[in-house]
Amino acid sequence: MGPYDSAISTGSSTSSPSSAAKPSDIDGLLAGAGYKVRSTELHQVAQRLERLETVMVNAPSEISQLASDVLHCNPSDIASWVDSMLFEFNPPVSIPSDLSDFSDLTYIDSVVSPAINQTVCNNSWVEHHTPEQQQQELTHQLTVVTAMEEDSGIRLVHMMMTCAESVQRGDLPLAGSLIEEMQALLTRVNTGCGIGKVARYFIDALNRRVFTPQAPCATGWSNENEILYHHFYEACPYLKFAHFTANQAILEAFDGHDCVHVVDFNLMHGLQWPALIQALALRPGGPPLLRLTGIGPPSPDGRDSLREIGLRLAELARSVNVRFAFRGVAASRLEDVKPWMLQVSPKEAVAINSIMQLHRLLGSGPTRVSAIETVLGWIRSLNPKIVTVVEQEANHNQSEFLDRFTEALYYYSTMFDSLEACSLQPEKAVAEIYIQKEICNVLCCEGSARVERHEPLAKWRNRLGAAGFRPLNLGSNAFKQASMLLTLFSAEGYCVEEHDGCLTLGWHSRPLIAASAWQPLLDTVINHNNLL
Amino acid sequence: MAGSNEVNLSESKRVVPLNTWILISNFKLAYNLLRRPDGTFNRHLAEFLDRKVPANANPVEGVFSFDVIIDRSTSLLSRIYRPATGEEALPSIMELEKPVTGDIVPVILFFHGGSFAHSSANSAIYDTLCRRLVGICKAVVVSVNYRRAPENPYPCAYDDGWAALKWVNSRPWLKSEEDSKVHIYMVGDSSGGNIVHNVALKAVESGIEVLGNILLNPMFGGQERTESEKRLDGKYFVTIQDRDWYWRAFLPEGEDRDHAACNPFGPNGKSLVGMKFPKSLVVVAGLDLVQDWQLAYVEGLKKAGQEVRHLYLDKATIGFYLLPNNDHFYTVMDEISNFVSSNC
Repeated sequence: MGPYDSAISTGSSTSSPSSAAKPSDIDGLLAGAGYKVRSTELHQVAQRLERLETVMVNAPSEISQLASDVLHCNPSDIASWVDSMLFEFNPPVSIPSDLSDFSDLTYIDSVVSPAINQTVCNNSWVEHHTPEQQQQELTHQLTVVTAMEEDSGIRLVHMMMTCAESVQRGDLPLAGSLIEEMQALLTRVNTGCGIGKVARYFIDALNRRVFTPQAPCATGWSNENEILYHHFYEACPYLKFAHFTANQAILEAFDGHDCVHVVDFNLMHGLQWPALIQALALRPGGPPLLRLTGIGPPSPDGRDSLREIGLRLAELARSVNVRFAFRGVAASRLEDVKPWMLQVSPKEAVAINSIMQLHRLLGSGPTRVSAIETVLGWIRSLNPKIVTVVEQEANHNQSEFLDRFTEALYYYSTMFDSLEACSLQPEKAVAEIYIQKEICNVLCCEGSARVERHEPLAKWRNRLGAAGFRPLNLGSNAFKQASMLLTLFSAEGYCVEEHDGCLTLGWHSRPLIAASAWQPLLDTVINHNNLL
Repeated sequence: MAGSNEVNLSESKRVVPLNTWILISNFKLAYNLLRRPDGTFNRHLAEFLDRKVPANANPVEGVFSFDVIIDRSTSLLSRIYRPATGEEALPSIMELEKPVTGDIVPVILFFHGGSFAHSSANSAIYDTLCRRLVGICKAVVVSVNYRRAPENPYPCAYDDGWAALKWVNSRPWLKSEEDSKVHIYMVGDSSGGNIVHNVALKAVESGIEVLGNILLNPMFGGQERTESEKRLDGKYFVTIQDRDWYWRAFLPEGEDRDHAACNPFGPNGKSLVGMKFPKSLVVVAGLDLVQDWQLAYVEGLKKAGQEVRHLYLDKATIGFYLLPNNDHFYTVMDEISNFVSSNC
């Protein structure tokens, strides 16, 4: 990220990462292969590849070791990837002081994943384990479904789709009778796993929508939801991946800064922050002063739960000698938060951290200016060093009910499937309730009550780009460590992928959650001279 | 040394379009970084660099795709590509496994290349290729995400291919209407071609009928250094050294390149005489350094009395079939289409 941006701009005439190339500029055939190269730059890129080959030929023994240590970013952009490799293998003779020290990169390796042996990190790959005990139990559990059950499963899906379609058309009597039929069919199907389990939740959602539409099914900020969230965190790796990837990016963005301020859009139990505090503690040159502002719902019973979390984090910070200050901001909704509440100082490096919060702002309200635009606007005005965004990789914000239903069925089937691999109880059972509430919100709620308005990464890219942010690449370090953590702590089947600078975590090739990092585009109007 | 490298680079640049040259050179250089001299492989970096695409149940240019798990114990996935019939806008989960319609519907079992170590069924280049095959052959394509070396050496890839073949053969929704059987063709490039041959051997032994094998630049080798290897070493993206590395990664420890998996008609090969082996289409690129081994494969099939069509493309390099910007591409696609549609 940091050093390579400078390297690219001094050494080449390729486009800066912030400018978006028009689709017609990009070579169409290479795009089909997953690569972005401007048609006008083919010759240049070819020349660079030739140079890289010559350089690599002249340094054969170190190559694979160098490759392991280098931070790779956005392989889709061949020009910048080749440039970064050229820089790594063949640095210019006189190196400016801020570019010469690459030891930063290896320290991040060991710091953020302290449980992993340093040599394992750098030299060998982690072998895929043969299926463990729990995996064997799992296979046993998912025994070959009898032909009859398979048919029932298919029938259920068929009926659900027909029901969803009749809901969309407004034919509630038909929908109602289908629901009753399906509930009868459910009693003859194994609803403990597989299609039966998914069907049970979706039929339940249809039931609520048709028969009790006015019942609340909010996944709003509430203390009950914090408990569900915590169990979801433990049962599967999606939230851990989100926290871990965001922390890595924040750590890199805070490099060289002595006063740093993290704003967490949804503190919950503060699960994300101990790792960052510890990583900052181990930073060469010492930790910065860390301020954490945690946003969360007001506590109903007079407790100040935000403050309690803050105190615990402060304890931890004290134990590792990190100067730490916490501030809680209680708000019922994210759009009620105003930037002055965060008390950002111009001298500090700011990181905005949004784990599955931005999509809640997409509901169209009665006001003219949309909530998302307002919030993105004030984020930008704070001139953060980094904005970490993690969102569900799904298209659940379509206006047509049938489309939403179909998308949700695919998405949550995959998610439930991945959850099968978890053997922790009661984490798994409670995690399912967490997911079920999400499903209900997507399918049963409308208007401002529907907050689970997930949109895919491609749409977020457009939104954030239009709001004046440029993407920062999450590089190969974050990727590698996410992959390693997954193989160590989770079942086989999870996979991390890199897409144009962003990382996704999915189950069996279907991405389910996407992490990205952003920075405001420089604006001559904004006075950024006061910041480091 | 540097001088001859410059000559090498400009040679390959003259025979392929520039964007193809960039694509394959990029792979070559990235792959150089992934192979370690001690025989291990930087899998994390490989996965990071590989451009992947998700399956898409929404038809794009008439083709939609979805992933299925064939074997949970090995996490064996396959991506299935089907032509959109145009009736439904968005295939619901129901329609994904809707029975194929047509007297005869070819089902192509596809094995991607990557020298047994690289790429996946969801790699962008292979997703694109499989989508093309659907249109060209009016077929359903099943692309197998087989386990790769060096973590999973011989015979894992063959086992996965065999599991996939059995799975395809037993899907009721893939049966052609004419005879209620699944009409299976196997297609593979590079290591995928090698897998096609070896899975066909198992199929013959076990009585599953495969209607045809298509091998694109199949990966074969042997202990001997052939004339084509010596002549073309390092000239068109590939070196003898890297071929050796991949064979060492795939073959069992202690085995040399005359192992039957690498050299099927070599000293340890199996005789195909008298076997009801599928007819084969073998495409050889004239600038591929292992062509002598590929030609030996063709000869081996012929000598065993097996039906084989040999297509030799004079000025083609490896990977010519990845981008539709050269004559060889169109020639081969036509040949594949004829091969799959002809029922003799």
